[in-house]
Amino acid sequence: MEPRETVAAVGSAEAPPVHAKSRARLVDREARPRTLVKVGSATVGAGLCVIAGPCSVESEEQVLETARAVKRAGADMLRGGAFKPRTSPYDFQGLGLEGLRLLAAAGRETGLPVVTEVMDPRDVSWVAEHADLLQIGARNMQNFTLLKEVGRCPRPVLLKRGMQATLDEWLLCAEYILAEGNPNVILCERGIRTFERYTRNTLDLSAAAAVLERSHLPVIVDPTHGTGRASLVLPMSLAAVAAGAHGLMIEVHRRPAEALSDAEQALTPEQFGTLMERVRGLAAFMGAGAAEREGGR
Amino acid sequence: MEAHEAKRELESLRRRIDEVDMELLTLLEERMELGLRTRALKSGPLDAARELSVLARAKQNSLALVGEGFAQEVFSSIMAESRRLQGERHTIVAFQGEHGAHSEIAARSLVPGAATVPCVEFGDVFLGVQQGRFELGVVPVENSLEGPVSQVSALLPESGLWIRGEASVPVKHCLMAWPGSDYRDLRVAYSHPMALGQCRGFLARHKLEPRPFYDTAGAARMLAREKPRGAAAVASALAARLYGLEVIQEGIEDEESNTTRFLLLSRSPSEEGDKCSAVFTVRHESGQLLKALELFAGAGLNLTRIASMPCRSDPGNYRFFLDFEGTDRDPAVRDVLAALQERATSFRFLGCYPAGR
Repeated sequence: MEPRETVAAVGSAEAPPVHAKSRARLVDREARPRTLVKVGSATVGAGLCVIAGPCSVESEEQVLETARAVKRAGADMLRGGAFKPRTSPYDFQGLGLEGLRLLAAAGRETGLPVVTEVMDPRDVSWVAEHADLLQIGARNMQNFTLLKEVGRCPRPVLLKRGMQATLDEWLLCAEYILAEGNPNVILCERGIRTFERYTRNTLDLSAAAAVLERSHLPVIVDPTHGTGRASLVLPMSLAAVAAGAHGLMIEVHRRPAEALSDAEQALTPEQFGTLMERVRGLAAFMGAGAAEREGGR
Repeated sequence: MEAHEAKRELESLRRRIDEVDMELLTLLEERMELGLRTRALKSGPLDAARELSVLARAKQNSLALVGEGFAQEVFSSIMAESRRLQGERHTIVAFQGEHGAHSEIAARSLVPGAATVPCVEFGDVFLGVQQGRFELGVVPVENSLEGPVSQVSALLPESGLWIRGEASVPVKHCLMAWPGSDYRDLRVAYSHPMALGQCRGFLARHKLEPRPFYDTAGAARMLAREKPRGAAAVASALAARLYGLEVIQEGIEDEESNTTRFLLLSRSPSEEGDKCSAVFTVRHESGQLLKALELFAGAGLNLTRIASMPCRSDPGNYRFFLDFEGTDRDPAVRDVLAALQERATSFRFLGCYPAGR
């Protein structure tokens, strides 16, 4: 590669909006009517879909107990990591295939569809055997090989926003998946990196609302990673629902203090129960408002 | 050596010890089977002269670590157990494949408590039962995804053996590999062609090239012994356990309802039954097959299976296999069979046996 080109590539880290706009994209709002993504018994894109569960699958007992608790509280889908992208290579890396088996078994037992992260293109077909929804994590948002691989897989995909990604870059990553022939993509806002360090990330709720303007794909919000603080998960969940998000992704651990990863941000099953009541109440109120507006037209 | 290195080394040595232990168990199983097969050929379980010669050889061939005393002790105890088993008079049932094959699972469900003996070929099962080396044999006749087992259909009519029973066994396949091998590196899957056919979709999803092998459990055994790179096997969970392999995924068959029907064969017919099988050929003329089948309709007999197989010696002509509900104690059934025999150019009643549930 010419040195000049390298400089140019670094200089253009932000996708040039003019160029990106120059051709019609599958991800654009105008391309098609609003996409509803079916994930087992759940639908994302209409009403409120709540995904909950532990950060990592740690043991059969832990995942099953948490699955039952979130099911009781009214969650629509179970999450759980088997392959964990950890900042440090010495941190718990996940149980791998065994974790997937445990997660799938907990899903079958509770009747909840399951979502889990896939990090390696070589893992996609194997993860798809167990998961109903494949998650691309924030750190892998622009792993284009991985995006193409899930684009060819007959499973819906949850695409998290990279912590340094602009809205346009995020949508172009969804475009990679759509372009490979997989129309079932859910976007997930999970916070971006700013100079604020009180929260783990800065939850960019405007991005969720902006996605609704820009794309037909459903968008959900992850206030757990977005704030990194259990105490902020409830208020930000309410804000996300108020902003029009189609769903939430919440980390719940039976005993957060004992969690092998992300201990400080998981909710207890009791806290999650309270959250569910509050967000369901708000969603019902907003749904009624929407119906009134529709009726008034 | 650093503490963590010593720990790793210890773990690796113990893994190899586990492998050797598995191999010892497999060999002991084989030794007990062979012992059982000698029972019918001698006057009683104990043959003192033979035992003395076994012990003498153990003594003669003892090695540095396995000394005379220990070698003789081991063989005395093996032979004591072998005598005990011979005293229990286990029924010996032959099946095709290695231990852990689906045929063995079927054999165990058809004859609980039997000693199951593996054979390399279907022909060995038929011949072994015909010649009295085995009391019974179990062979697959049809799979719900892949259809009839042609070798069995070819061997059965000429064998002179009777169908004594049947069992439909749900076939659950597992993908397995040597523990510690990375599933991402797997490129080929060894198994019996029938099993590979039943898992076609799964193998295609994971870009695994199917490699035919003589048996499902045999593929698992080969994998455990030879550890070929990038290779997996498709076999039963039992086979994974027997050969110390790691199950990567369970239930990989394309349809959950995947079922194989097995037949129990013997030299003498069953004493009771509510289902019958027969095989026949008819003249190559218009309406001959219809007339043969009309006999069953006329008597109100429900056919549960009609299969045709090309006659090996006569291309263009077919052999028809019929299964129907009914017992050969019933005069109406006897009349139909007699009439069929008269019409047919060849006919063999294969047996009346209890229908599998």
